[in-house]
Amino acid sequence: MIFIYRQLNKLRWLTLTLVFSMLIVLPFIHLYQTYIAAHAYDLIAPSEKQIYDVMEQLTAPFVSDPQHDLDALKGNTWSGNLFGLSLSDPLAAVSQAATGMTVYWPLFMTALIPIILTMIFGRFFCGWICPATFLYELNSNLAVLLHKLGLHTGHRRLDMRLKYVVLGVGLVLSMLTGAVLTAAIYPPAILGREIYYAVALNGFGAGMVFFIMTLLFDLLVSRRGFCRYLCPGGALYSLLGRFRLFRIRRKVETCNDCAKCNAVCEFGLDPLRDDFGQECNNCTACIAICPTDALTFVVSPKDVAFQGPGHLGRIYKRQHQAGSEEA
Amino acid sequence: MKRRQFLADLIYGAAALALPATATEARTDSRGIRYLRPPGALPEPEFQSRCIRCGQCGEVCPNRTIKYFGLENSVSSLDTPFIIPREQACILCMKCGDICPTGAIQKIKRDADDILSKVKMGHAWVDKNICLSYQGKTCGVCYRACPLQDVAIKVGMLEQPQVLDKCVGCGLCERSCIQIPQAIKIIPNYS
Repeated sequence: MIFIYRQLNKLRWLTLTLVFSMLIVLPFIHLYQTYIAAHAYDLIAPSEKQIYDVMEQLTAPFVSDPQHDLDALKGNTWSGNLFGLSLSDPLAAVSQAATGMTVYWPLFMTALIPIILTMIFGRFFCGWICPATFLYELNSNLAVLLHKLGLHTGHRRLDMRLKYVVLGVGLVLSMLTGAVLTAAIYPPAILGREIYYAVALNGFGAGMVFFIMTLLFDLLVSRRGFCRYLCPGGALYSLLGRFRLFRIRRKVETCNDCAKCNAVCEFGLDPLRDDFGQECNNCTACIAICPTDALTFVVSPKDVAFQGPGHLGRIYKRQHQAGSEEA
Repeated sequence: MKRRQFLADLIYGAAALALPATATEARTDSRGIRYLRPPGALPEPEFQSRCIRCGQCGEVCPNRTIKYFGLENSVSSLDTPFIIPREQACILCMKCGDICPTGAIQKIKRDADDILSKVKMGHAWVDKNICLSYQGKTCGVCYRACPLQDVAIKVGMLEQPQVLDKCVGCGLCERSCIQIPQAIKIIPNYS
């Protein structure tokens, strides 16, 4: 079983890449559909013809009537349509309810599946699906590279509870202004829209400025700082996933205290001292890097308290030898 | 609602101090953007509170009619959909309402009766000083562009257009007007 868990990190990169590339492809598909709707192949510019041809080749195996069949895949991770099933981000439903001060049930129902999955798997959206995570993780790889080149990158630590304040303030401001403001500061929602603007409309808008600022914040101030300390969606997912069923646990018998898990954890958690908490997004990076297979998935609604130093580690051996000598 | 408006104004005031002038200027609509909401959109303040800015309405629009606000209108309408009829007008396909997950754009069947009774994007208005037909040069392009001919618009002598009460404001007449500037315009209806 542990063999499978170790591969999950690769699978995660696959899903992240898939979601991100879909966000880029879908606007092009939209363009392709509009060309078909206008019967405009002979009228469009050569660059547009290229889009048309590529999209036709991409989609031809799957659809017979592209203009209508391709409507099955629309939207982004903030709210989207997957073959007739419409799904929304829980934050979208919550902030819309706060803004209008009433719950609009049809939207809430589209957020139900993500909410249930979050209650089972925790903050998995942040690690497995979020298109911003894809760029943020590449960004932290860039930070490592810059660090090797001798440039300074930020490693400041803030309080993780800051993001709950951001969520609360965002919801209250949305309520007061009567506009869904959380959508403007939530990176996956921003990216979903901005990529569409860039491809199908007149280029990046105001949201991209904000997003680039978060990238710089991550690079220069705090590693993965936005996700860890500021993201309102991350805050909501953390709260929902507090009693998640699937969580990572350290097997103290095989742990050798090498602390690679702590170093690799994007969210700055402390697997070495069994401190995952509600923040863990089950990204499985720590499982993949553990040299002694000491981290594994368990089904349990709670973390264990600190189990003491790993049994293969130096501290434990010293304590143990001391204990046996005394006896 | 009044207290809410007041608080909203307070926040915009604060935002105006923090942000460059764009935010407040836009609120008074001093740049005079005349835009329409997509067909079936809720009345204005309610639309802004319902819309979650997912962008699906634009992505499903087959005519590339729907565009999105940046900061040019106001902070509260950031990323909400709008239509500039002179650039690209609505063809009343009603796909945006079907896909809207929040009901900010209501679901309306693609059917003349439903569209006539429920779509209220605006109302066309003819500027008789510019309109060719009223200058004695028979034109009638707006009438021919209208998807609801003789219900929303009718023509009299010399193809002089006359907008009727049932006009839903799709903007196809404004899009097709051959005069520059256009002689027929949609007066938006935000309520």
